[in-house]
Amino acid sequence: MANSGLAQYSNVTLVLAILVYGLAMVAYAFDFAFTKRAARAAVAPATAPSKAESPALVGAGADRAGLSFAADPGDPSELADLSEQDAGPAGGGPGDSVTIPTYLAGEQPRWPTGTWLRTAFGLTCFGLLLQISSITARGIDEHRVPWGNMYEFIAAITCAAVLILTLAAIKFRAYYMGLFVLLPVVVALAVDVVVIYTPAGQLVPALQSYWIAIHVTAMIIAIGMYIFGAVVTVLYLISARVERRVAAGTARGGGIMSQLPGAAALDRLSYRSILFAFPAWTFAIIAGAIWADHAWGRYWGWDPKETWSFITWLVYAAFLHARATAGWRGKRAAVIHLVGFACLLFNLVGVNLWITGLHSYAGLPG
Amino acid sequence: MADQNSTVAGQAGLAEHDGGTAPGADAAVAAAGSAQEATGRRGPKLGAVGWLRWGWRQLTSMRTALVLLFLLALASIPGSVLPQQGIDPAAVSQYYAAHPTLAPLLAKLSLFDVFGAPWFAAIYLLLFTSLAGCVLPRAYRFARGVRQPPPRAPRYLGRLPQTAQFTVAMPADQALASATAVLRRRRFRLRSDDGWTAGEKGYLHEFGNLLFHVALLGLLASVALGGLFGYKGNRLLIDGQTFANTPTALDVFRPGRLVAPSDLQPFTVTLNRFTASYVMSGPQRGEPLSFNGAVSYTSRPGGPSRTYNLQVNHPLNVDGVQVFLIGHGYAPVIKVTDGTGQVSFDQPVPFIPIEQSGLSSAGVIKVPDASPQQLGFAGIFLPTAIDVNGRLASAFPAAIYPRLSLVAYAGNLGLNNGVPQSVYSLVTRQMHKLPVAPRPLAPGQSITLPHGLGKLTFVGYRQWMSLAITYDPGQLPALLSALTALAGLILSFLIRRRRMFIRVTGDGSGGSVVAVGGLTRSDAAGGFEVEFAELTEEIRTALQASQPNSGRPAGDEAAVAQAQGE
Repeated sequence: MANSGLAQYSNVTLVLAILVYGLAMVAYAFDFAFTKRAARAAVAPATAPSKAESPALVGAGADRAGLSFAADPGDPSELADLSEQDAGPAGGGPGDSVTIPTYLAGEQPRWPTGTWLRTAFGLTCFGLLLQISSITARGIDEHRVPWGNMYEFIAAITCAAVLILTLAAIKFRAYYMGLFVLLPVVVALAVDVVVIYTPAGQLVPALQSYWIAIHVTAMIIAIGMYIFGAVVTVLYLISARVERRVAAGTARGGGIMSQLPGAAALDRLSYRSILFAFPAWTFAIIAGAIWADHAWGRYWGWDPKETWSFITWLVYAAFLHARATAGWRGKRAAVIHLVGFACLLFNLVGVNLWITGLHSYAGLPG
Repeated sequence: MADQNSTVAGQAGLAEHDGGTAPGADAAVAAAGSAQEATGRRGPKLGAVGWLRWGWRQLTSMRTALVLLFLLALASIPGSVLPQQGIDPAAVSQYYAAHPTLAPLLAKLSLFDVFGAPWFAAIYLLLFTSLAGCVLPRAYRFARGVRQPPPRAPRYLGRLPQTAQFTVAMPADQALASATAVLRRRRFRLRSDDGWTAGEKGYLHEFGNLLFHVALLGLLASVALGGLFGYKGNRLLIDGQTFANTPTALDVFRPGRLVAPSDLQPFTVTLNRFTASYVMSGPQRGEPLSFNGAVSYTSRPGGPSRTYNLQVNHPLNVDGVQVFLIGHGYAPVIKVTDGTGQVSFDQPVPFIPIEQSGLSSAGVIKVPDASPQQLGFAGIFLPTAIDVNGRLASAFPAAIYPRLSLVAYAGNLGLNNGVPQSVYSLVTRQMHKLPVAPRPLAPGQSITLPHGLGKLTFVGYRQWMSLAITYDPGQLPALLSALTALAGLILSFLIRRRRMFIRVTGDGSGGSVVAVGGLTRSDAAGGFEVEFAELTEEIRTALQASQPNSGRPAGDEAAVAQAQGE
């Protein structure tokens, strides 16, 4: 069974997918280097129009229900730093508060533009198809969901990350994320293939349940989104730092950062990814609890894996709360976001390597 | 200082508290102070109520919640790194052996029982109190506010975050009616007055947020319910054995705080036959394929007997109690004839696996009834015995070539000195080792003990399975709470609460100037500007369609919004 044609096909296509992702990264880099676009980022917080709550609204009518709407950030390209928003003073004269609705300002094109970006995105999609076919072939070969051990699990979460990258690129015009998401994906896949390869095989009885399809699939989707969100957050932190330095006059804009849409838009994108990932993660934990109840007789038992998924949940919950707390938005919230991702990674790698628990069968071979 | 703070504390603001100012009342006054003193008199001192209010406000602030979330996460970490008494008591004993000085210290800090520790409970109870203190008043305000109309439209819509303005060739009142109809069609809650309409939508955002938090309180209550009225037990059952669900028949019994022994559901379970199958070849050779425990059970004494095939992931459910297959192993059947010729021992003895790949198992046999001397044996059972460089090992978990290797002792087992002993360990302090050839026994073989002490026969082996018996009345409520929380989370993430305002003024020549403004509460994920643009477009299209003379160009449509200076 281990040497069947399908399993071989799966191994070969996975290596091909890594190569295609690598080529896509080169094309993304060339796009950054050679394609001249109007700078996406407006790196000028000082000249951004200061919009604030209309005084007429704060005390408006019967609105005493604690419902003071904060100012909408408006078009992201106008505003360099979202966190400055609520603190800003009321705008000066009425002439200050001119807003151009997005539909008039002109949207970015839905599909990638420029030869290099089109090539890069096409390669990304092709690599994704290769990887999906690799995973599918292995699943058919094994007659089960193909995420029953660490090797398969890493292949699945990287696949989810690339899938989310392509969807987010189209939906949010976030083609600029390609290079940055593919980098960790390629590294993880290379380690997966070289170090932790496991031949196709059967599942141990503890994993023989349809709940593996529900619990682990939800985990994979959530982790794929978390990976995407973490990469965006790293870019946000860099971008915000560059913008601060440009504003302070200690650095000049340009370079690769001018290819990115600016800190405010990155901040939003990272928040959006958590808005999807957090409920998916919550669902995955609930599904895991139901399965644990079926398999072990309790829905929660503080197994190390459970404990760390709980810790991860708490830190991401803290991130969501920080976003809603004055003084914690922006950089601090981004740091919490990355702490949450570090907990996630520790749960994936550290718990398997250093701590034994009921989830130990998910560990590494040998 | 006290002057300032008595007023600070008097404010009943419950939203988000960022600056914490310490009240300056002295402790004596605070202790003696009555409610009347604090509220009725604007005195310089802060009374007990003031203190309480200040503390409550601190506790229910978002910042405190944030800190408590982090503390809870931090506090959970030792529970995953150190062995826990409730999960793996053997690992805790090992830790004690390895770190004799550190372990008692850690135990004093409850670090081997983190999730039952008082400091852990303190953190999550504070967190849930903070949550309740934040959410319940919000729920009350939401319930009141949900019936209120939207606020009045601001005077200058141009100052709103989202604005647009255009002109149409129709009277102002007609234009306003048509524009309002669009909002009504989009199911906005509306409020209209002379020349303006305000609409609000997305109340489910706050509802979902509240639902999520209230459901978390429900989850805590469910967990508490299970902790009070539920129980857990373990039982090892050898092929052919029966057990009744009573505290004494269970090897381990952990009742909830309010569980009496008579509360246990009176079922019995008999193991008819346990079977395990393994991968026979290939790289996964020896990995288990399936475990099956064929059992028969009765839900009450004298009741009808039913059968069930117990498997991993397929528990048996009797009267709301779940019976799980959690482990398995071998029980060699041992027969001992003592020095007087009496059969003083004849039963299967469960051996505990000491490794998983070959299922080598260790166990002890105690024969207190043997005479002239008590006998004890410590042994290793090897399902598929092989010789690895002169040492015995097991090459496969199934019993293909079973062998039993024993060390024999005679003397006093020490069972009558009042110190409880584990059935899995032999105390050899008052015993001496017997010179017996260390030849492993095949089923049916015997060893004759020296000095006329008797004979031991390895009759054969049976398999056993270990069962976890759990009853948790909080299980279903916990599931419902968790799913409700998830639903609330998704609602609050998907829906944004937003307001739309329309102001129409006549332009003096039969036409009207329509101003549209939009506002949303911290739409951090973005997206409202798109909805606003679409709504504005819809309003504009609707107005143009209902224009009396469509032939006339409709002014500078879609003009970039400009705040009216008046």
